[in-house]
Order: sequence, then C-alpha cells, then structure tokens
Amino acid sequence: MNMLTGATGRVLLEARSVSKRFNVGSRIVPALRKTVHAVDGVSLQVVRGETLGIVGESGCGKSTLGRCLVRLHEVSEGEIIFEGRDITRLSRRALRPIRRKIQMVFQDPAASLNPRHRVRDVVAEPLIIHEFGTHSEIDARVVELLRVVGLSADHLERFPHEFSGGQRQRIGIARAIALEPDLVIADEPVSALDVSVQAQVVNLFQDLQERLGLTYIFIAHDLSVIRQVANRVAVMYLGSVVETGLTEAVFDHPAHPYTQALISAVPVPDPDRAHRGRRILLKGDVPNPAAPPSGCRFHPRCSYAQATCRDVRPALTRIGPHREVACHFPLV
Amino acid sequence: MSLGFTIVKRLAHMVFVMFGISVLVFLIFFATPGADPAARIAGRNASPQTVALIRKEFGLDKPLPVQYLRMMDRLVIRRDLTSYVNLGEKVVPTIFRAAPVTLSLVFGAAVIWIVFSILVGVLAAAFKDRTLDRLLMILSLIGISIPVFWLGEVVNLVSQGLLHNTWLFSWVPPLGYVPLHRDPALWFKSLVLPWFTLALAFIGIYGRVLRANIVEAMQEDYIRLARAKGLPEAQVLIRHALRCSMIAIFTLFGLDFGALVGGGALLTEVVFGLPGVGYLTYQALTNLDLPMIMATVTYASFFVVSANAMVDILYSVFDPRVRND
Amino acid sequence: MTEATATDPAVPLLAVDNLRVSFRTARGTVRAVDGVSFRLGHREILGIVGESGSGKSVSLMAMMGLINDPNAVIEGSIKFQGRELIGLGAREMRRLRGGRIAMIFQDPMTALTPVYTVGRQIVEQLRLHTDLSTGAARNRAVELLEAVGIPGPKDVIDRYPHQLSGGMRQRVVIAMALSCNPALMLADEPTTALDVTVQAAILDLVRKLRKDFGSSVILVTHNMGVVAEIADKVAVMYAGRIVEHADTPTMFRTPWHPYTWGLLDSIPPISGARPRRLSSIQGAPPSLQRLPPGCSFAPRCQYRSRRCAVKPPMIGEPDHRVACVLEPGERREIVRKPAQQNDEIPS
Repeated sequence: MNMLTGATGRVLLEARSVSKRFNVGSRIVPALRKTVHAVDGVSLQVVRGETLGIVGESGCGKSTLGRCLVRLHEVSEGEIIFEGRDITRLSRRALRPIRRKIQMVFQDPAASLNPRHRVRDVVAEPLIIHEFGTHSEIDARVVELLRVVGLSADHLERFPHEFSGGQRQRIGIARAIALEPDLVIADEPVSALDVSVQAQVVNLFQDLQERLGLTYIFIAHDLSVIRQVANRVAVMYLGSVVETGLTEAVFDHPAHPYTQALISAVPVPDPDRAHRGRRILLKGDVPNPAAPPSGCRFHPRCSYAQATCRDVRPALTRIGPHREVACHFPLV
Repeated sequence: MSLGFTIVKRLAHMVFVMFGISVLVFLIFFATPGADPAARIAGRNASPQTVALIRKEFGLDKPLPVQYLRMMDRLVIRRDLTSYVNLGEKVVPTIFRAAPVTLSLVFGAAVIWIVFSILVGVLAAAFKDRTLDRLLMILSLIGISIPVFWLGEVVNLVSQGLLHNTWLFSWVPPLGYVPLHRDPALWFKSLVLPWFTLALAFIGIYGRVLRANIVEAMQEDYIRLARAKGLPEAQVLIRHALRCSMIAIFTLFGLDFGALVGGGALLTEVVFGLPGVGYLTYQALTNLDLPMIMATVTYASFFVVSANAMVDILYSVFDPRVRND
Repeated sequence: MTEATATDPAVPLLAVDNLRVSFRTARGTVRAVDGVSFRLGHREILGIVGESGSGKSVSLMAMMGLINDPNAVIEGSIKFQGRELIGLGAREMRRLRGGRIAMIFQDPMTALTPVYTVGRQIVEQLRLHTDLSTGAARNRAVELLEAVGIPGPKDVIDRYPHQLSGGMRQRVVIAMALSCNPALMLADEPTTALDVTVQAAILDLVRKLRKDFGSSVILVTHNMGVVAEIADKVAVMYAGRIVEHADTPTMFRTPWHPYTWGLLDSIPPISGARPRRLSSIQGAPPSLQRLPPGCSFAPRCQYRSRRCAVKPPMIGEPDHRVACVLEPGERREIVRKPAQQNDEIPS
C-alpha cells in the first residue's frame, strides 16, 4: 500500500469521457423517448498496483461504469484504453485475451455462482474457457486458489449453498483471480456480508493485492470500506465524477460539497464523536437521472450553491496534485 | 402520463396488429404458390365460368396489394363478400348473426369462472396445506382434466334425457339458442348448462394459479406490513394479497377470453347446438368455404386482439405500475 | 380498555423476560431466540445490534405477535404497559398492533402494497384503529406525511409507492406507523436499504419523532454506527441471546464482551489513522441448528478457555450486563493491549 499514484505509475486502464445512455419510454414515438445518462462523460485512470475506489449513492452510475469498463455494457460514447490499447470497439473475439486480464467480483455471491455447480467447477470454469492447461494442471490450480482465498481442498465437492456468505464471496474471488488478471473490478463485494465477515473479506482483498500485485477498481456505497481499501477515490453523483483524489485527502478535506455531506452522514460508532446534530443534511432526494437539473447537477441540494451553479455546469478541474473537483466553489 | 394516454397507445397498437394479421391471412389464402385462389373460392366441382367470374370479381389478375385492398373493402367496408359454397350467402352478416351467440356463451362462462376461481383460490390459499385446500386442488385438477365435449355430452344426457322429467332438470329447455331480446328468461335457461360446462376447466386452472399467486404474495413484505397495521387476516388476504394476485390472472384471462370469443368455444357450441362463430368456422372448414374462412379468421383475430387490448387497459387500471409515467 | 397501568411511571413500557422462540423443523428444534430479557422505559430508544441469525428480528416479530408459523413455540413473558402479550387473543393483539405498537421494516421498496396509493394505505390503518371518517383520516394522513418531512404531502398522498424514492417510501411507512400515536415503535433495520445521506435524514426523523410523539423505539440494526447515533441503550445479540446490555456511552467506552470488541473493531474508521489491516472476528455467525454447548461465541473467540464450555450467565452491574466469563481484571488486561491481529490467510 506504499505505492503512490498519479503520473508516476503506469496507467493500466483509462476511461476517456465515457458515457452510457439508456433509452426508456416509447421506442416508436420519439417525443416520448427519454434518455437516461447513467454514466455521463466520466474520465478516470487506474494505475498499476493501486486501488481506485468509486463511491456514490444508489443510482449514481458507479455500477454501470464498472460494467462499461469490462464491456459488460457497450459504452455510448468515449473510449476505454487498457494497457495503451483502445478496447472500446473490439470484437468479442479480439476481446477474449483482454477479458482474462480484467475480472469482476459481484455483490451477491449467491446470485453470481451457479447453484448447480460444485466449487471445483465454479473455480475451474474460467481456467477451462481460457485453456489454462491439462485436466490435472487445472485441478492443482483450483486447489491452490482455494487455499489462497482461505478455503481448503475439503470444500471442492460442495455446492455454493452449503457455504456462508463470506465463504461464497471467497469462492467468487478465487474464480476472479484464477487467470491471474491484472485488474479486478469489484462491485459492492462486501455489502451483502455480515459486519464481522466484511472485515475478513476486505482484508483478503488487501492481502491478495500485496501477494499478486493486483490492481483494483473497488466500487462501493460504504464510505468506511472505501476509505479502508482505496489509495485513490472517485466520488460519483448522478452519472458524473464530482471529485477525485488520494483517499486521505478526500476524506479529511473534501473539496466538493457533496463529498462533504456524504462523509458527514456516515454514522460513527462512537457516541462521543457521533454527529448528533452537526451533520450536513441534504435537501431532497437524488433527482431523476432522466431529467437532471441544469448547471451543476448537485446545485438544488447544495447549501453553498450560487447563481452560477444553476446555469453553468462545472468541469472536473485539477486543484492540486492527484486532486480534481467539479465545483465552482470548492471547499479546499 | 395518464391512463387516457395508455389507452390511446394501446388502441393504436391494436389497429397495427390487426392490420398485420389481415395481411398474413390474406397472403396465406391468396398468395400461396401453386394454388389458384379462384378455384378454391369456387369450391369443389365448380364450373370454369364460375372460376372465371370469381377471378374477375376478386381482381385476381391485379397485383397483390390491389387484391388485398379489394378483399378488405368487401370484407370490412361494403361487407358484401359472398360465399360460393353456400350459394349467395353473404358471409359478414352471417358472422354478425353468429357473434351474439358466442358472446353470450363466453361472457356468461367468464363471469362464472372468474367468480368461482376466486372463491377456490382464496379458500385454498386461506386454508393452505389443510384438508379444504387439498380437496379443492384435487377437484380443480379433475375439472381441468375433463374434456369439454365429453362433459357437454354427459350434461346433455342427464339434463335432456335421464333426469329431464325430474324436478332437477325439468326447467332445461331443448338444445339451441334463444336470443336475449326475444326471451331473457329462456336465454338464460338455455345457456346455464353450457356456461358451467365451458367454465369448469377454467375454474380449475384459474383457481390453481390464483392459489399459487396468493400463497406467494402472502410472503411479501407488504403483507407483513398489512398485518403489522393490525388488519384482520381476512382483510390482509383479500384486500392486499388477492388484489395483487389478480394482476396475473388478468393476463391469462385476456388470452383465454379472446381465444374463446374468436371461435375457441367451438366444441361447446357444437355439443349444445349453439350456432355461434365457432360452429360457423367448423362448417366453413368442412366445406372449404374460403370467403367464410377468411371472414371468420379476421373476426377471430379482431376479438383476440381487442380482448387483449381490453385486458391491457384493465391491467393499467388494476396495476398502477404499468402506467407510463 | 382499562389501562390504569399505562401511565404509571413505575411500570416499564415494555418488560421482556426470558423470551424464547423456537421453530420445530425436520432436522430438530431451532432456537432462534434463547432467553432474551430487557426493560424499555418511556421515551427510550433501545438499539439491538446483531448479525444475521442473531435472533434480533425474530424477537421483534414475537413482540408484535406476528410469528404465525404453526411450528413456532414462543415462551417467556412480554409485558407491554403491564399487560402480558404472549397468549393474548388474536383480536386483542390486533387492536394493539398498528395502534399502541407499530412496526417499520427494512426494505421500503417492497413494504407498501403496490396497487394502492400511499394515502389509501395510511387511511386504512387510521380507520381501523380510530373513529375518524374517511375525510378526516385523509386530512390526518396529510398531516402525518408533513410531520415525517415529505414535501408536498397533499400531492404525495395520491401517489403510488413506485412513484416515490426509497427514502420517501420509508417516510411513508414511518408516517403509517405513527398514525395512531403508538407508545412503542419497533424498527427492523429501518435504514439498511437506504443510502447514507437518506439514512442520516431518517435517523434524524426518528429522533425528532421521539420528541414530538413521545414514542419509545426499539431499533434493530447490524450497524454499530447507527446505534451510537441514536440509541439510549444498546443490547448486543448473538445466536439468539443478548450477550451485552448497557447504556450507549458505556457500551462504546467500555465494552465488555469479546464479540462487542470484534464488532467495533471490524468497522473501518471514517476518520483518523487507517489501520493497515482490519481486525476481524474469525469464522462466520453459527448455524442455529448446530450451536455449540456453552458460550455460542466461544468457537470464534480469541479469549476462549475451558470456562466457556458452560453457558455463561448474565453478570455485571445493573446498568451494564454481560454474558461472558472473563473477570473484570482479565477484561482490563485485554483491552489495554492493542487489538490482536488474527491473520487467517496462510502466507
């Protein structure tokens, strides 16, 4: 975790103005068609060996972005550059060798594992698809993988439902790292787990990163978890990144009013320091992404908003080393 | 967007689908390679003159779109399409005469099967896994398994024959249809048995589906909240679980109702001697009466599609979530 | 109803004694709640913390009389305003439910009946428990929606649940719960399904409502942070039992039970130094069908010893009780040391 990031490291994955639009409403009558900008012009870089945390509330587009990055969704605009190569429009076939380098871990380990497959099959599947080796080589690799994620060879013949949530997530992780990927995109990997188990899985992610030199994009709504695992964070609101920076800097001195409100809303398990009363309460709800507000998307809820914020949409601007914010009146 | 808009949208959709069906039906009968439509319209053993006449009348030497328009004109606008098999019979008025019979039969049966299946579904769900539930489920399975023509024949045998002279069935009029406007009481009496005969299998199916839906709905969070409000169990079941389960039943109902009105009640009509559309279709098919087939198929598609449209509209009344907004 | 005891301050609002809930299953009896006892005073907020299978939700359902599984056996005593709820007739229980005792649930997205407007659902409850006419009930519903901070309540009352956001729906559920001025509100993970900013707003609301409506609240959650924010007292549950019970400041300043230590240490801090690794409790919450004899937490406990083979009784002081055999001296010794790292990854 000593690796500092930014221009010094080698960029592994880059998103350039990535947008993802979904059409809702009538397919025939254009007047009734609405376009939802689930992801709206996001640019990000992930440097080899780091963990980029993407945090935001439900509907902010963080999961859609994650899926776009691995091309589970096709992007509407923008490019995705992996190891210097534009993969945005590669054919399925051309994408295959890249797919093995980028793996995903999902939120619900129960839903992402086939209930009829034994653990052995679940973990071996990517190895078979990508022709890892002979039958016995694959077997040996599966056992090794289980050991790495804290399970044992005794678990090989069992079915996913025989495991606890934490163990199932370990299986999901074993599967994801089976092909020694460069990048793992984890979408809410601990949010379905019990608190005591959450910590184990967070630790596992960190251990694996150290041992295997993995790069992570860690998507979560839980700010405490993001703060623990990420070197760098990107805060998303209504499809756009509103702030990026090194984790400590962002959490200690948030530059965007939304980030500030988000952090202040986290309940602290310490009644002496609990926020009772001095928390920033946001006005209203997250607006409908099909009809986002004008200007700064956050202005209707922002207590610092001024006239400009209503009209002009702030661009993500560099305000310091490794630090960008999309706000006309940043707090730092 | 409002309910009104949903309805307009659905109706536009319906017109579009009906156009597609009429084109398809037309193509099947008039553009099948290797078959001369004129000869088919003329029927078996027709003279060459008749065939030539038909060719001219239907414009069969003109391009297909013109033929289609002419056909639609005669079918829908001028309604003077005539059958050559039953010499000179105008097919559209014939269908219009048969339609009330079918509608009477199917409407009545539908009311019966909806009422009884709700009863069966709710009772079975309320007494889930107890004797009443098991009994009702077995009975509905039996209802589903009995073929409607067999049941109809047995009903006739008993009510017209074996027990007709007892107090139980002496009120049953002879087979056949009496129009509603002529004698409402007799209309009703002549249809009671056909209604129940037709409804029985549907009561079985709907009752079972409804039970399953209610049982599933009873596991939902909103049921827990309804109980937490202090509602008595019967109200929880009927106002909340049944109300939400009815949505699934409507889809089924739309399909079945449309199909029955469109001629699916054929067997019941034949068994009880009711001259409905199903009966008409049956005759047209045995005689290979092409104009009549053309007309009944178009009629059937109209009813299937409009019943579905009706159900979709009802659907958005019953389930606010499907309204566009 | 004669409720002479209702206002007597000497009688606690709710007294639960040795509550046990078990379910008969094909593989034997599962005890979901195993001897839970506590008292809840007027206008008090009790937080019950626990993980899945701790029995916290089942306890709430038992208090609400909502366990209608024919295989369930409920024993012990639940006294609400001096009146025994266990064995109370269905009619009587229904009158309390939604009236004097109200409940809110975890997932606001599915908690409301989808086919009725929110107004109709609130009016339904008001008409059930009060003599209000439909019109008056509707006006009251508007007031309630306003009280829970819904903007434009006159408009919202005619909306369907799917037209509202999760936060708004949870406010509607809370408005419904408050509609009959309940003395006790049971909240089962009311903020778990919500975003943090919405959670903050809902917690604020609960605090405000305690002030305005004077209800006592039992809030079940897995989130120690939520409890610290809102509760006056905390009970930590594990495998069907309360393992530690204290007022909130005491619980967080000097927790006594190793499980409480573990829970507190597993939460990544939101400020201050970042630990290199989180300390975590090893293993997973036990299956209720295969509970160890003695202390249920022992298999996961770093400090287990031979003493743990016996079910530990609740000991300690009147306002801080714990079910653990560690002596006060031992506890102080352990707490003084920095939290041990338990590394279960072989390297």
